[in-house]
Amino acid sequence: MIRRNTIDGATPYVKNGGSKGKYMRTTANNRITIACLWVAALVVGSVELRQVAAQQATPQQDAAALTPPPAYTAPPKGAPPAEDTPAQREAIAKWKARAELAVAADRKEYNSEVTPSYNFHYGPKNPYTPGNVQVQGDGFLQPGAYPSAEYCGTCHQEAYSQWRQALHSNAFRTPFYRTSVNLLIRDQTRGIAFARFCDSCHNPIGVLGAALTEDSKVDRAKFDSDGLTCTTCHSVLSLDSTNGNASVKMGVPAVIVDEKGERIPGEVPFDMILRHPERHSAAVMHDFLHTPEFCAACHKANLPAPLNDYKFIRAFTAYDEWQQSKFSQRNPLTFYQADFTTCQGCHMKRNAISLPDYGAKNGTLVSHRWLAGNTAVPFYYGFDEQLSKTIDFLRAGNFLNVDIFGLEKAGEVTKDGNPKLIAPLGKASFDLAPNDLVTAFVVVQNKNIGHSLIPEVRDLYEAWVEFTVKDANGKEIYHSGFLKPDGLIDPRAHSFTNRPVTNEGEFVDNHKVWTIHSVAYDNTVQAGRSVLVRYQFRLPADVSGDVSVTAKVNYRHLRQSYLNNIFGKGDHPDYPLVEIASRTRILKIGENKPEPSEPNDNQDWMRWNNLGIALLDQFQYMESVQAFHEVVKLRPDYAEGYTNIGLTEIVWEKYESARGAIHRALALDPNSARALYYDGLLQRRAGNTEKEIADFRKVVEMFPQSRDARRELGITYYQQKDEHNALEQFEALQKIDPDDLVAHYNLSVLYRRMGKKEEAAKQQAMFIDKKVDPGAPTYSLNYLRDHPEISTESIPWHMHSDLVGNSGELQNGK
Amino acid sequence: MDETVAPISRSAVVRASSPAPFSTGRACFLSVSRRLAFLALGVIFLALPAAGHAENNCPWLNEATAGGLLGGDAVGMKTDASAGQPTVCTFTQQGAGVTRTLRITVEIAPEPHQRMSAVAQVCGADAAPIKAIGNEALVCTADDRKGGMGERVVGRVRDQVFTITIASTLKSDPILNRDALKARIYTAAEQVAGNLF
Repeated sequence: MIRRNTIDGATPYVKNGGSKGKYMRTTANNRITIACLWVAALVVGSVELRQVAAQQATPQQDAAALTPPPAYTAPPKGAPPAEDTPAQREAIAKWKARAELAVAADRKEYNSEVTPSYNFHYGPKNPYTPGNVQVQGDGFLQPGAYPSAEYCGTCHQEAYSQWRQALHSNAFRTPFYRTSVNLLIRDQTRGIAFARFCDSCHNPIGVLGAALTEDSKVDRAKFDSDGLTCTTCHSVLSLDSTNGNASVKMGVPAVIVDEKGERIPGEVPFDMILRHPERHSAAVMHDFLHTPEFCAACHKANLPAPLNDYKFIRAFTAYDEWQQSKFSQRNPLTFYQADFTTCQGCHMKRNAISLPDYGAKNGTLVSHRWLAGNTAVPFYYGFDEQLSKTIDFLRAGNFLNVDIFGLEKAGEVTKDGNPKLIAPLGKASFDLAPNDLVTAFVVVQNKNIGHSLIPEVRDLYEAWVEFTVKDANGKEIYHSGFLKPDGLIDPRAHSFTNRPVTNEGEFVDNHKVWTIHSVAYDNTVQAGRSVLVRYQFRLPADVSGDVSVTAKVNYRHLRQSYLNNIFGKGDHPDYPLVEIASRTRILKIGENKPEPSEPNDNQDWMRWNNLGIALLDQFQYMESVQAFHEVVKLRPDYAEGYTNIGLTEIVWEKYESARGAIHRALALDPNSARALYYDGLLQRRAGNTEKEIADFRKVVEMFPQSRDARRELGITYYQQKDEHNALEQFEALQKIDPDDLVAHYNLSVLYRRMGKKEEAAKQQAMFIDKKVDPGAPTYSLNYLRDHPEISTESIPWHMHSDLVGNSGELQNGK
Repeated sequence: MDETVAPISRSAVVRASSPAPFSTGRACFLSVSRRLAFLALGVIFLALPAAGHAENNCPWLNEATAGGLLGGDAVGMKTDASAGQPTVCTFTQQGAGVTRTLRITVEIAPEPHQRMSAVAQVCGADAAPIKAIGNEALVCTADDRKGGMGERVVGRVRDQVFTITIASTLKSDPILNRDALKARIYTAAEQVAGNLF
């Protein structure tokens, strides 16, 4: 039975003899001893360490349970690294040699015990499939090779205490995760080997340590409770790709390198680190830790055929959403611009420390709380500080803008016979009367989230619009998005969620992702875009005075029916509901005059712009163009406004008009990559190939990671039979987005023409696997037939109203 | 405190996959031929692998993890639920002059809240709620009358009511002292509850 790593002899890791300490690593209790001995080792050149009986730490322990940090004074800024004496160098070399031998011997012994009974379901060369994780060296990596979080926490108490409450440390053990992965383990045609797919990100120590097999011989007690411990992220050696599904290569954990930069595996005495902090950094702080590509390793996932016996299905990709957002500065086609901000820029902000932490700079440390949207985990574990900070994060970020933008009154039309839009509210004057049938336009802008609303596994979370209309006495006139007594959301609410379905058209309510075959609808709002939600209500005959209209975006982690799956219906407390953003407007029965804006209101041009974006996404091209025209009326110098008109007219197939708008945009801003991109499309349409290439090339020069520009330029070269340049663009595109279908298709053709049959076959296979199954939408239809409220939501242009006829149809209040 | 748990109703027992035990009293009245037939059947049963009995196939904790919690190599045994009795996993670690055990019981209860209350009575007055174990859980001491020390968790995951007891026959066990027991019972409970979800 394997519990921890074991290392023979007088080494940093000592087998304690008998059963008590076998496979145990050094612990906090003996670190002081180790440190003293390390000093002694420097003198006498030999190390003899004794293992102290290991204590199981409770997973709830906080920094108060840690050993006090050793004394340390940081060297002055710019000071050269400490120079070692020959004796010290020799001691380090001996330590390293012994540590390497010990870890290798331990690994060999460990493998000899776990390998024979391991289920190599996908063959001996793919021990971790369906996950993409890999590990340095041969065979499984023993869990004891990872220095413990408490070891790291001794000098990094602030980071430790934050991590303990954060999602990463609880990535595996929560009931929210376990319930889902247990279903996979218990699935009759799958089993625990398939759970390597999930655990590669949620419990990589277990996956790489051969714990995920029937009849496991691995002691899971400690690593299960620590999920992603310090030395998982900080031991990653390289990122294999941006394919996600844990596409990293884990190194044998080391917290220090020697003078040659070679890693010394395992825990070392603190003195060794404190003498050479620069070597500690070299071992654990790779540059890629600061990049979004590192986050992509797990915050991007697909459901591969080895998991679902079907085909590649995109699960989620916060990374690509970020890459396409304004914050990446890699996409010239965003509606708005912003400073470059990485995932870490939002989720690992630098804060003042309150506990000792030798990694702090100027009294601050990047957050190891990774604040985001998950309130369920801190709520369940009673991590009050994490919960409160998470709620503050959700509320404080100016992430969303809610705009009750305009009204339509039934019967009021323009001279063209179209409904007259009273907008923007707060600026327009209008009258309201009892019995008026009113449609409110609510525009929700994903303003400053670097990914979609809601991101990732949005089938598990709930964000929705709650819309209320009340009379002067507070009596409800209309309410959409309410919570029912059983905690479920009004089924007709406008929800930013989705509905994945099985091949029988059943909603995958319990996150059995391997059964997903289609998505019946997906109301997410991508970064920087907006959505228009329409609400229709009738003012009562006896209404008078003020009528208040409120639109909120609420968020709940997790979906109520999923909580019911986990704990049983009615068998859990109410999980936190967070109001992320809201706006209230007071409408008067009678005359309404302009009123001052509120501090969080967008400027009027942006309000119109957001309406135009929302209408564009709802395929309401005429109305979208009209909204963008209002933008340029307010800001005639705003080139982007004309580009917006042009791009809408391109998708509307009004090319001549589009040319005028794009030319106007380029006249205002000749170097607008966005306008040049759309100009390239128009030049292609006009047959002006040279101008088309020139446009796209310029965009690629300005935005080398623009997947759209690379794709279009590649297509242009391909059409011109310029295979060399086409290949260059499609290969570059594939590096940016390894799942781009156009790249797969064209590369398969181009490679074949070049005689590269193997590469061509590979691209062809990926194209076939990743292309959407044309039969999949039929699965959604089964679901939508049974759920008319979701069927309505699945239509981009839809109305929310409780004014329905006897047979359920909308009656427009008549 | 003795580890006694109030019996559950027959309807509460769902995992009765093993055959109902024979009544030895009634067997005395069977004819010789029928006795021989039963004897033959008994031999066959003995020869077959005892499904769900005395096997190391505990679904909620493996031997290695149990061994880690008990401080040495542990031997596990599982007994499937039978009439009125829950499924039981027992892990035993024999040391020099000491026996350490980790015992898990799990039953599916039609009235889980009531059953949880009934089972929790084994804890007595010193039971304290513990956070983040299953739907709900309590922890208490489980010392025995002979001087051995123990710690127990009674908990529930949906309609599954479980108990976990870690005990040592020593009063002053250097491995399973009180602090260690408290830490390890939590870890065990998290493992078991996690697998019950």
